[in-house]
Amino acid sequence: MVRQSGNNATPASAEVLQLQNETAPLAVAIGDLAQINDQIHDGVAAQERSLDELGASVKTAAASFKETALQTASVAGSVEQLSSSINEMAASTEQVNGNAKNLNDALGEIGTSLEEMSSSTKSVSDKAQSMSVAATQVTSSTGAMAKSLRGISDDTDGLVSAVNESGAAVEEMARSIQGVAKNCDDLVAAAESTASSINEMAASIEEVGATSENLSAEVDRVGAATEELARSIVGVAQNSERITDAADGAATSATQLDRSIHSVAQLAKQADDTTRRVVQEAEEGGAAVQKSIHGLTRVRDAMGQSAESVREMGKKAGEIGGIINTINLIAERTNLLSLNASIEAARAGDAGRGFAVVAEEIRNLANRAAQATSDIASIIKGLQDVVQDAVTASNEGVRVAQESSQLAEDGMSGLKKILGGVKETTVITAQIVRATEEQTTAGKHVVSAINTTAVQAKQVATATAEQSKTAQSVAQSAVQMRRIAQQVSQAMNDQGGAAREIIKAGQNTRALAEQVRKATAEQATGANQITQALVLMRKGASTTAKGVAEQVQGGEEVAKAIEDLSRLLAETASAIHEQSIGIVQIGRSVEGIRKQSGQVNQAMAEQSRATKEMASASENVSKQIRLIARSNEGNATLAEGIHQGLAEVRAVVERNLQGGRDSRRVADILRQRSDAIASLAARLLEPASPPPVKRRVVSKKKPSR
Amino acid sequence: MSNHDGATTSLILFELAATTYAVPSRLVQQMEMVERITPVPNAPAFVDGVVFARGQVVPALNLRLRFGFERVPYNLKTRLVVLAEHGRTVGLIVDSAREFLTIPTAAIQPPPETVTGLSGKYLAGIAYVDERLLLILDVSEILNFTELATA
Repeated sequence: MVRQSGNNATPASAEVLQLQNETAPLAVAIGDLAQINDQIHDGVAAQERSLDELGASVKTAAASFKETALQTASVAGSVEQLSSSINEMAASTEQVNGNAKNLNDALGEIGTSLEEMSSSTKSVSDKAQSMSVAATQVTSSTGAMAKSLRGISDDTDGLVSAVNESGAAVEEMARSIQGVAKNCDDLVAAAESTASSINEMAASIEEVGATSENLSAEVDRVGAATEELARSIVGVAQNSERITDAADGAATSATQLDRSIHSVAQLAKQADDTTRRVVQEAEEGGAAVQKSIHGLTRVRDAMGQSAESVREMGKKAGEIGGIINTINLIAERTNLLSLNASIEAARAGDAGRGFAVVAEEIRNLANRAAQATSDIASIIKGLQDVVQDAVTASNEGVRVAQESSQLAEDGMSGLKKILGGVKETTVITAQIVRATEEQTTAGKHVVSAINTTAVQAKQVATATAEQSKTAQSVAQSAVQMRRIAQQVSQAMNDQGGAAREIIKAGQNTRALAEQVRKATAEQATGANQITQALVLMRKGASTTAKGVAEQVQGGEEVAKAIEDLSRLLAETASAIHEQSIGIVQIGRSVEGIRKQSGQVNQAMAEQSRATKEMASASENVSKQIRLIARSNEGNATLAEGIHQGLAEVRAVVERNLQGGRDSRRVADILRQRSDAIASLAARLLEPASPPPVKRRVVSKKKPSR
Repeated sequence: MSNHDGATTSLILFELAATTYAVPSRLVQQMEMVERITPVPNAPAFVDGVVFARGQVVPALNLRLRFGFERVPYNLKTRLVVLAEHGRTVGLIVDSAREFLTIPTAAIQPPPETVTGLSGKYLAGIAYVDERLLLILDVSEILNFTELATA
């Protein structure tokens, strides 16, 4: 039995090693997965960091999302494959279960053979007792029998030791079976937790898929918005250049305006001064006109007075003329009288001669008087003409003075109007001066404002240039985003690879299950070998019988030493009795083994059930993944509707981060699981004797991933 | 003067239309200023009316009109020269009459034929004294004419 179990143990431990070897790459794959998760996390963090650069990469992320959908579809396919392999594994487990039943049957056979062995041992004991009775009779052939008895003793010793060894082995086996059972429990628990972890992971993958699709859509929208932004930035840059040009032109014209305002202000000031002088002069002129009006009034009055005087003088002259006429009349009459006297004197002849002389003298005097009055008359006539002229002139003067006064008054009122106008002009000019001063300040403000505008426009131009640079860098970062999205898709590919590795591991598991089947076949072989060993044991028993026959032959020789022998036999009988007890114990232990095997069977059945549940669970997973794929596609179509802004993107990215963290947590859990599996494998390797059970454990581990 | 050279002639000089005429003073009854001429019905145009002088009614003859000159209004110098010859009296209204002149009769020359033809028979002669040309009227003709006119 020891040999047989040793033969069985070597391939089983090798498979455990193999399993461990498989588990190691699995752990590595999990580690890779965790790394990938970390990378995804980092990528998401980078996405969050480059949220402003998110724009263009959202597009690529959308594309990668479609790829992801495809990959999810492929993952679904591989999950289906995994499901089928789990089904296969379930079948193999069923087979293993059958094998275990066979093993149970073989163990039953072993039990039967052990019972037989026990009964034969009992009969041996009986024979030994009878031999003991015979031995008491056989005292002479003790010497010869001693030799054969030594051989029997040796055989018996070997048997005892073998029985001891087998008992120990059976105990170890029982222990290991218990350990296997415990490991199976652990395995079941681990498988359940792994299944739940897979569910969580699937859920988180779903979430990540959904959020990634959202992200893709957001990236699309942000990409479009970024393109618009870039276009608008270019437009703004052009506009700002135009604004800069316009502001420069405006600054130039504003400077010119300022200069012209200055000159206008100077002119207005000059106009103000001039108007003030004009006002002063106009007031002075008004005063002068007033004075001249007064003077003219006086002149008019004086004219009137002088005209009156002249008229008076003319009247007097007229009176004088009257007197002159009287004198003239007298002179004419005197002349007439003297003529008449001369006529009379001439008639008187010589007597009238003296009279004629007197008459002539009188006539001469009268002529002189007439001449004088004629002169006076002509003088007075001239005087009267002069007076008339003077009166006319003075009347004219009065009229002119009145007209002048009127004109002066008109001029005065005109001057007053002019003064009012000039005063208004002064006020207006002062207002203009003030306005131009304000204009000057305003112009300066305008100049400074326009200069500031020009500076600001230049700054805007610079800023827009920087913006366009930034837009270029945004485009670059969009390219980076695309690259990151590609990395994400790469990671998804890696995930697909990991999934494939998982599938491979599942296949390996199936192979291992086959190996387990093989091992159980070998176990069957081992059981046969146990049977053979039992045959050998029977042969040993016959050899013992032969020895006993030799004992019978050497009985006479033993006669002498019968007393000692009898004592020895008694001891031997007691030892055999103990052996029988040990065999009974073995039988009990074999029964325990069988019980354990039955429990293992039950466990296997439970395992099979669990495997079926797992298969259904994996089908569910596959369904869910299909749903995910469908929802992925739906999300991909929805992607264009997600243009809701960078804030949502941030939320989505944060959710992504959360999902990444969940993924990382799940990966950690998986890593813990794989570590637990690795430690389990290591623990399984440590006992080394009950590997077949371990194989089952190992085979169960993989489908759980 | 006329005493020294034998025959002298005393003349009354008068003015009419800026021409100096003369009549012998022995034919002049008197001289008057023109006052209160009473118009006479159906009298010729050159007769302004009649005046009452020294107790007798004398017709007043406007010599300007009689000689074909225009009428001028009377004034202080206007004179009525009353001529009397052979019991017939006529007053001549002249522009003025202020001088009494005695000249040698020899200085009086008969009027030339051409002048006589022109001015009719009213001129008795022409005298040239002290660079003055005197037209001496024929008083008889004037009286005849006046009588004819007034008759």
